[in-house]
Amino acid sequence: MEIALIGNPNTGKTSLFNNLTGSYEYVGNWSGVTVEKKVGVFKNNIGRLIDLPGVYTLNPLSRDEGVVTSFFLNDSVDRLLNILDASQLERNLHLTMQLLEFEKPLLIGLNMIDVASQRGIMIDAKKLSEKLGVPVVPVVARSGKGCDQLVDTISTKSFTPVKKNLVNYGVEVEKAIADLSQELAGKTEHSKRFLAIQYFEGNEYVKNYVTQIVDGEKLQAISAKLEESIKKSYEVKTLPNFIYMKRKAAIETIIAETTSRRDGVVPLSEKIDSIVTNKYLGMPIFLLLMYLMFMLTFDWLGTPMSDALDGLLTGPVASGIENALTAVHASAFIHALIIEGLVAGVGGVLVFVPQIFILFFFISLLEDSGYMARVALVMDRIMESVGLNGKAFIPMMIGFGCNVPGIMAARTIETPRERLLTILLTPLMSCSARLPVYALFVGAFFAAHKAFIVLSLYVLGIVVALILAKLFSSTMLKSQTSLFVIELPPYRLPQFQSLWRSTWDKGKGFVRKAGTFIFAGSVFIWILSYAGPGGLKVEMDDSFLAAIGGVIAPILAPIGFGTWQAAASLITGFLAKEAIISTMNIIYFVPSDSSLQGLLANYYTPLAAYSFMVFILLYIPCLATTATIYKETGSKKWTAFAIGYALVIAYVLSLIIYQGGKLFGLV
Amino acid sequence: MFTSLKAGEKGKIVDISHVGNLVKRRLLDLGITEGSEICVKCVMPFGGPIMIESCGQCVGIRRKEAVQIEVERI
Ligand SMILES: Nc1nc2c(ncn2[C@@H]2O[C@H](COP(=O)(O)OP(=O)(O)OP(=O)(O)O)[C@@H](O)[C@H]2O)c(=O)[nH]1
Ligand SMILES: [Mg+2]
Repeated sequence: MEIALIGNPNTGKTSLFNNLTGSYEYVGNWSGVTVEKKVGVFKNNIGRLIDLPGVYTLNPLSRDEGVVTSFFLNDSVDRLLNILDASQLERNLHLTMQLLEFEKPLLIGLNMIDVASQRGIMIDAKKLSEKLGVPVVPVVARSGKGCDQLVDTISTKSFTPVKKNLVNYGVEVEKAIADLSQELAGKTEHSKRFLAIQYFEGNEYVKNYVTQIVDGEKLQAISAKLEESIKKSYEVKTLPNFIYMKRKAAIETIIAETTSRRDGVVPLSEKIDSIVTNKYLGMPIFLLLMYLMFMLTFDWLGTPMSDALDGLLTGPVASGIENALTAVHASAFIHALIIEGLVAGVGGVLVFVPQIFILFFFISLLEDSGYMARVALVMDRIMESVGLNGKAFIPMMIGFGCNVPGIMAARTIETPRERLLTILLTPLMSCSARLPVYALFVGAFFAAHKAFIVLSLYVLGIVVALILAKLFSSTMLKSQTSLFVIELPPYRLPQFQSLWRSTWDKGKGFVRKAGTFIFAGSVFIWILSYAGPGGLKVEMDDSFLAAIGGVIAPILAPIGFGTWQAAASLITGFLAKEAIISTMNIIYFVPSDSSLQGLLANYYTPLAAYSFMVFILLYIPCLATTATIYKETGSKKWTAFAIGYALVIAYVLSLIIYQGGKLFGLV
Repeated sequence: MFTSLKAGEKGKIVDISHVGNLVKRRLLDLGITEGSEICVKCVMPFGGPIMIESCGQCVGIRRKEAVQIEVERI
């Protein structure tokens, strides 16, 4: 048995999915969190559950909504679980009406009843079920209340709709539906009524689907004739509008009979909103919050924790491993591989776990509270002036954690041009994997202004992205259409448990990568540094690694770090940005007390160090990001462009910073 | 015109047909169309977007679209 979850955006579909399947998919308090189909298995094994992106109607505007419509037309779903937001029943029922027309077994989960009752909205689930002809189960997806009953209903009841044609669209439309159905008769397995209505509403996906099976011109004629007669006899502007109004009327009757209202409390949301989206305070508050986040991650909280972990790893842990190796009489090769390769390489990355987790904690807080959509609103004016829209800021904020989900999140941007632009520019957002590089270098060179220097890099990433957006949108990606309508969800107090889970879920990836990718990479890099054309156990400067790095080093000289060591770590950085750190730890391996930070001062000047950090910030999307760009744009050309422009801009900026800095007498 | 409403004032949409198709569709998805009651919540500076509320739902739209929506004060 397969059940597909479907409903308006931000109604709690994924929360319910996680609850029923015990998995952990991405939950957040804004519209468009889920952007692709996800499959899970019910905890009690009764079947599979499919999570889909949220949609308002089955007539899609954006790419993530298109996922749902194609799923409907091309995959054979047998059951639907429609999630409704009880506090927004009317809007939600528009989708339900369309789903009922689809004539597949349907079950309704009436979610967020806690929010609704707080606002004084009471819904009679039993009566609603009678009216709609399908089972309705009230739930609170967040706490899991009612989930057992939902599973019960799913596994015991048949939920084939008992009522047909809930909405009567009037004689003209009904007649045209019949005509169109006749054309389609015997040629499709889908509900013909559904296809006809969607066709009249101008659904492009349905249009494509039906013109594949029957002559498009005939259908077009039916639709045109209908539109004309509707316009003549009623006071409406378009046929889709007429259909909408009919549906709305039917919904209003249902609501009048099933819900009652009493005065609720003024939502806290409004009070918070009057401050954070205040005309003058909005932007300063956003910047202040960002600043606090940085200070906590890099200064107040993160650094002491990382230092403590570093002490533990390089001290007791390393010497413990060393003793163990001696005890088992490991060969000198194995000994060196483990201590100089693995412990240095993997340990060098793991040290930054506390800072990464703190950063992810704040990103999760931002996502879960409802502030994300407000940021998009506050930023829209700036984004508009560079040819983007405020919604593009959401992928960018997510990109601060990891660029891959950031790029995926761009699916919710409706216009293809703005979406492409966002995909191309999101890699400029400084992701968490770049953070260890900054932490290492600011610790070595800018100890007094740690957070400030790092903040300058993050801001630089955003500024470069905005400038390039302006450049690209006024040259090769020119187009006037832009769409910015954003739903601002009510604030929700994040629950500690879900916050922790989403922090852990994101941070886990970092730890896992250290244990797999970086682990293997460290072994490989160490061997390259251990072996050379002259045999094994050569001086590091005569190793293969030095030879490879040496080829690129001269090109990097003008920007301040023309050493083979820097070049070699930049190459590995393409695979994953953390690899830069593990490579450096292996190359500059220091056996005893003195740390890598101290050693770096021999190889970099502070100016060169800053230039290096800027280069790392911009130079190339990592392998996983590149693959995602390719997947999302479907174009080799744009993928190559994303890599190419990044290299150029990184080089140019580092050159300006290094040479310019030298001119002004900085070192 | 929308801009005649100040933050905190309520109005009813009488004509939305001058707004671009995409924006109109999105607003319709959110249940905002002719006849909907709306309340202007706040207005961003420098010609930025405005935040409106309709049926307990807050929505942000751009100023240039907002001015094309005709509302009557209530
Ligand atoms: N108060 C309350 N909050 C809920 C409930 N269900 C979900 N939420 C919250 O609503 C927000 C949205 O939840 P999601 O599960 O991401 O919603 P979704 O429908 O998957 O959203 P999209 O993927 O964007 O379509 C989260 O902040 C949840 O914590 C509920 O029953 N009550
Ligand atoms: Mg979701």
